[in-house]
Amino acid sequence: MSNPVFDHSVKAFDFIGGLDQLSSVQEIIDAMEQSFANFGFETFIITGLPHPDQRIESLVLLKKWPIDWYLRYTNKGYDRYDPVISLCRQSVQPFEWAEVNYDPESNPKALTIMREATEFGMKYGYCLPIHGLNGYEACLSMSGSHLDLSPRTKPAIHLMAMYAFERVRTVLQPPSHSNPLTAREQETLIWAALGKSAADTGEIMGVTERTITAHITSACQKLNAANKTHAVARALQHRLIRL
Amino acid sequence: MTSIKVIRGHQREKYADILDEYFRLRHEVFVEERGWKDLARPDKRDIDAYDNSNATYLIAVDQDQVIGGLRLFPTTLPHMISEFFPFLLRNGEALTGPSILECTRYFVVKERRTGRTDCRLLAAFQEYCLEEGVSEVTAVVEMWWLPRWQQAGFKVRPLGLPQMIEGQPCIAAAIRISEESLHHVRRLAGLRSSFLLREDSLSSALDQVPHVAA
Repeated sequence: MSNPVFDHSVKAFDFIGGLDQLSSVQEIIDAMEQSFANFGFETFIITGLPHPDQRIESLVLLKKWPIDWYLRYTNKGYDRYDPVISLCRQSVQPFEWAEVNYDPESNPKALTIMREATEFGMKYGYCLPIHGLNGYEACLSMSGSHLDLSPRTKPAIHLMAMYAFERVRTVLQPPSHSNPLTAREQETLIWAALGKSAADTGEIMGVTERTITAHITSACQKLNAANKTHAVARALQHRLIRL
Repeated sequence: MTSIKVIRGHQREKYADILDEYFRLRHEVFVEERGWKDLARPDKRDIDAYDNSNATYLIAVDQDQVIGGLRLFPTTLPHMISEFFPFLLRNGEALTGPSILECTRYFVVKERRTGRTDCRLLAAFQEYCLEEGVSEVTAVVEMWWLPRWQQAGFKVRPLGLPQMIEGQPCIAAAIRISEESLHHVRRLAGLRSSFLLREDSLSSALDQVPHVAA
C-alpha cells in the first residue's frame, strides 16, 4: 500500500479487463459488488433516464438495491422528483450526491427522497451520467454509508463505472438490429412525414411511385399500421425514423 | 447530404479554401467555445505544429459548408500523446507503430450536434482507417465521449486512468479499427455504403450524387 494511486489503477484495470468475460447481468452485478465494495459502495443501479411517457422500471439495466426501496421508488414515481436524476440530465460529469442542489420549496419531494434513501443505508452516493448518441440518457448511481471518495479514488471509480455501464449495455443489446424497417422504408416514411406524396417521394428517391407504395405497404405490415399516416406516427413514436 | 473529404497535409495548397474554413472553425470550437486559451491566435485560425504534411484530415462537408472534422497523425513521429500527455498513460509509454495513428481535434459544429453528423464522421473514420490498414487509433478525450464511441460500436481500451485537464476528466484511449465497428456505426448513421470522398475516387463519387438529402 506504499503507492495507493498505483493500487487503484491496478484494481480498475483488473475489473475492466475481467468484464469482457462476463456474459450475464448477474455476473456483472457480482463483479461490481466485489470491486465497488473496495470504495465502500453497497448498492448500485444502472438505468436509462425515462422520457415523460416512460416508466423507469422498463429502463433499468441492472440493480443491487434494497427491494423495499426499489418498490417504493418505482411505485411512487420518485424518479420524477429525484434531484440526482435531474442533475444527471444536466451534467456530463460524475458527481457526489452531496453536491446535488435542490430547492425544497419548489420540490419538497426531493428532500423526502434523499431522507428516505438514508433509511435504507443509502446515505452517501456517487453518480455517473451517461449521454449517448441520438439523445440516449442513462446513469450509474452507487451508494453506501461510508464511501472512500477522494481525488485519488475517483478516477478509478469513474473509469470502472463507465466500463460497467458499457458491459451491461452490450450484454443486454438485442442480437439483431431492433429497427425492423429497411433503410429504404425508413426513407420513404421520412418523406411521408414531411408531407410528400408517393409520387413526389418516387421522384426524389429516383424510383417509381409503385416502388414507394410497396415500401409503405411493407412498412405498414411491419408496424401493424392501418395506413401511411398510422405507420408514420408509429415509426416516430418508436424512434424508428428521425426527422 | 454530408460527405467526408480526405485531405492530406501535403495537399494544403490545393484545398486552401476548405482548410482555411476548417482551421477557422477549429479556433471557434476549441478556443472560443471550449476555452483552450493556449491555442488562441490573432488570425482566429487554430493551426499547431502537427498541422503539417504528415497530417491527414477527414473533413465533413455539407453543401460546401464545413460542419466537422478530425485530424490523424502517425504515431511513429512525435505526436501529441507522446509529447504532451504521457502522464495520462498507465506505463508512461505511448502506443506507437506503423499501423497506429493518433486522432486529435475531433469536432462537429454546434448546430449539427443533434443530428447524425457525429455518426457519419465516425463511420468515415473507421472506413478510412480500414482502407489504410490501420489497426488502432489513440486519442485523448473527455470521459463523457467514451459511451458515445461505445454506442457507435467502437471497441475502446483505456490507456490509463482519467485525469483532470482544463477542469474536465480526460483519458487516453485506443480505438480498435474493425469491419464490425464500421458496420455498426454505418447502420447508426443511416448509411448503406461508402461516402468517403478521396482524391482517387472523387470524380466517380461526384457522378453518383444521391438524390436524397438526409
